[in-house]
Amino acid sequence: MAKSKDKYKVPVLDGKISIPRIVPGAFAYEHMIEAQKDDMEALDFPAKLQDGWKEKAIGVFKEILDHNKAVRDYMDICVRCGACTDKCQFFLGTADPNNMPVQRQELMRKVYRYYFTPAGFFKNLSNSQELTEEVLKDWYTYFWQCSECRRCSLYCPYGIDTAEITMAARQIMDSIGIGQKYTTEIIHKVFKIGNNIGIPPAALRNTLDDLEEEINEETGKDVKIPMDVEGAEVLLVPPSADFFAMPHMESLKGYAKVFHKSGISYTVSSYASEAGNFGKFIGSYKNTKEINKRIWDEAKRLKVKRVVIGECGHAWRAAYNYSNTMNGPFNFLDSRYKQPAHICDFTLGLVKDGVIKLDPSANDDKVVTFHDSCNVARGSRMGDVPGGQLTIPRELIKAAANHFVELREGTTKENTYCCGGGGGLLTEEVMNVRIAGAMPRMQTVKEAVDNHKVNYYALICAICKTQFTKIFPLYGFDAEMVGGIHQLVSNAIIM
Amino acid sequence: MTPLNLTTAIFLFFTYAVGVIFIIGVVLRIYQYAATPQPVKIPLTPAPLTKGGAFARILGEVFFFKSLFKSNKPTWVFGYLFHISFFILIFLHFLRHFIYSNPLPWWYSIFVNIGIICGIVMVLSLFLLLMRRVVVERVKFISLFQDYLILILLMLIGLAGLSLNYVLTPAALTVVDNQLDPYMNGLLTFQFTNIPSNPLFLIHYTLVMLLILYIPFSKVMHFVGIFFSPTRIMADNPEEERYYKPNAKDLSI
Repeated sequence: MAKSKDKYKVPVLDGKISIPRIVPGAFAYEHMIEAQKDDMEALDFPAKLQDGWKEKAIGVFKEILDHNKAVRDYMDICVRCGACTDKCQFFLGTADPNNMPVQRQELMRKVYRYYFTPAGFFKNLSNSQELTEEVLKDWYTYFWQCSECRRCSLYCPYGIDTAEITMAARQIMDSIGIGQKYTTEIIHKVFKIGNNIGIPPAALRNTLDDLEEEINEETGKDVKIPMDVEGAEVLLVPPSADFFAMPHMESLKGYAKVFHKSGISYTVSSYASEAGNFGKFIGSYKNTKEINKRIWDEAKRLKVKRVVIGECGHAWRAAYNYSNTMNGPFNFLDSRYKQPAHICDFTLGLVKDGVIKLDPSANDDKVVTFHDSCNVARGSRMGDVPGGQLTIPRELIKAAANHFVELREGTTKENTYCCGGGGGLLTEEVMNVRIAGAMPRMQTVKEAVDNHKVNYYALICAICKTQFTKIFPLYGFDAEMVGGIHQLVSNAIIM
Repeated sequence: MTPLNLTTAIFLFFTYAVGVIFIIGVVLRIYQYAATPQPVKIPLTPAPLTKGGAFARILGEVFFFKSLFKSNKPTWVFGYLFHISFFILIFLHFLRHFIYSNPLPWWYSIFVNIGIICGIVMVLSLFLLLMRRVVVERVKFISLFQDYLILILLMLIGLAGLSLNYVLTPAALTVVDNQLDPYMNGLLTFQFTNIPSNPLFLIHYTLVMLLILYIPFSKVMHFVGIFFSPTRIMADNPEEERYYKPNAKDLSI
């Protein structure tokens, strides 16, 4: 049931990011809607909790410990120094101590101690805890209040990655029939239809036709967005929101114009019409691999030479980091290019080579700032040097717009705050978690708006775009500020 | 050769048992961390592009606590002081064994004083770390029994060690020193001699043995674990070099 707007708890912004006093259980009431039977079964998970779930869960936990170095290592080595306690946007926003990364991990670590270490013998003294339904309830609450953004890992002296622990916990829960509706439904849709939103091929073609028409009206040019064309040079895989949602579609127009002007033939695919990979959110190797495989199967079938991924954060991390491992090697593609490549890297290359020209004065009405998306900044790379994922989008913005300001130092680049909606949290029932998680970022947005009159909030992530479009008005900002980098490119490109 | 007393016999057994448990425990942990496959690449970016670069990144963490420096300055200062003084003390303990001779070198008292300063720094920094756990609300909330246990154990070790220098008369300390060298040699060569019988020394020694015994089962294993931490030790090159672990099951990423 959707809550009305006045029921949301929206903090008042004062421009400061202060550490709250802890309020135990402050957000214990926030719950995800449970997964539906057919979605769970489509993903090879049991539909609901069954007899013997405890043994099954511990068995899966053991399998993960034996086959996942990160979880194995991170269960042992935390010293509880507390460095992470004030780094998570969900703790800063909710004040719930279980949203401090170390305490979120402790929900799993206490079960680990009970079953897998000698400390389990000392039970209460060592904080060891049997896996009970009560504990599962905490898991379901708090491992679904983590956006897997890895900000905590950046600040951890050992690099302990709560995202890996969250993924493992979700994997254990899924394997005993405790799933989350939003992610499982979406993965099911990808398997059935080809994308998260569930647009069938004919409808996708219609949408693309409409976009072509729009571009024609705006520019007078006959810009095509080809679909399922065999033998094109590039397979373009945007997040499906780019086909359907606002402001995402404006960036799709930008991609189309870039391809049109560069003369590089390209195609989107109705089969691989999704760059996003929600398999990653639930920590399922198998599902992540299956979703990822669609891209490379399609690249082979359409006989393209290169694969370019659109503006999407976790999609880029999954495509960049996992593709080669899960579905490589890609020796059927042109080895001179990065496989896959990021659309920003692709476009900036064309700008630098003089193949396309941008007129930044086209965006002179805008004061642009850039929000680094967590999965791009902390999880992947663009270009050839470390940190290219931080410099390339900025260079592209500066090529497309004259007025650019950074958000507050310490909250950008690899230190960026999550938008509050990543990792499978982008769903209505946890709106208060999303609002709270966005709070630290909103404080810096307020500062940027007040001090620099920022009126364009540039993003390269479909989830960020959706989240901020929803969150901005709640905090008193104009949703129209939110947009993609390729929306700027779309305005600035000289046709 | 004097016959061994009962105290020595007990301590010899205790020491060897601790040594065996420590070595087996740590080696097993290293094996476990090393043998467990990492299914996919998860370096925390911006990350070095080469294995060498990634290892240098780990060394930056090990020697300078770089990430901790970024996250929390007081914790960094207290933690760094503790680790540095603790390691200098371990080093000095080994070194002492080689320079303790008759007659003593002229700088022996300077050497001992460096040790005493390190001991004081260690105990003070441990006290500050303990205070953090008591005073800072968030840190207090996350602290477990085992977190207090290790701090107190280390503090007691430091205090017992310092007390040897402050409570004992120089003559009594010399007796301990003179007995300690042959005892330690005996542990390695199996030519056993009696352990120093001074109770303060035996407390210090026992506490150290308890610490070593506890290490393989405790969070102290972070000194091994950090070298296997995938977010730090992995090079950022998934496209350039295919990363594939056949023994990483299709389970969790």
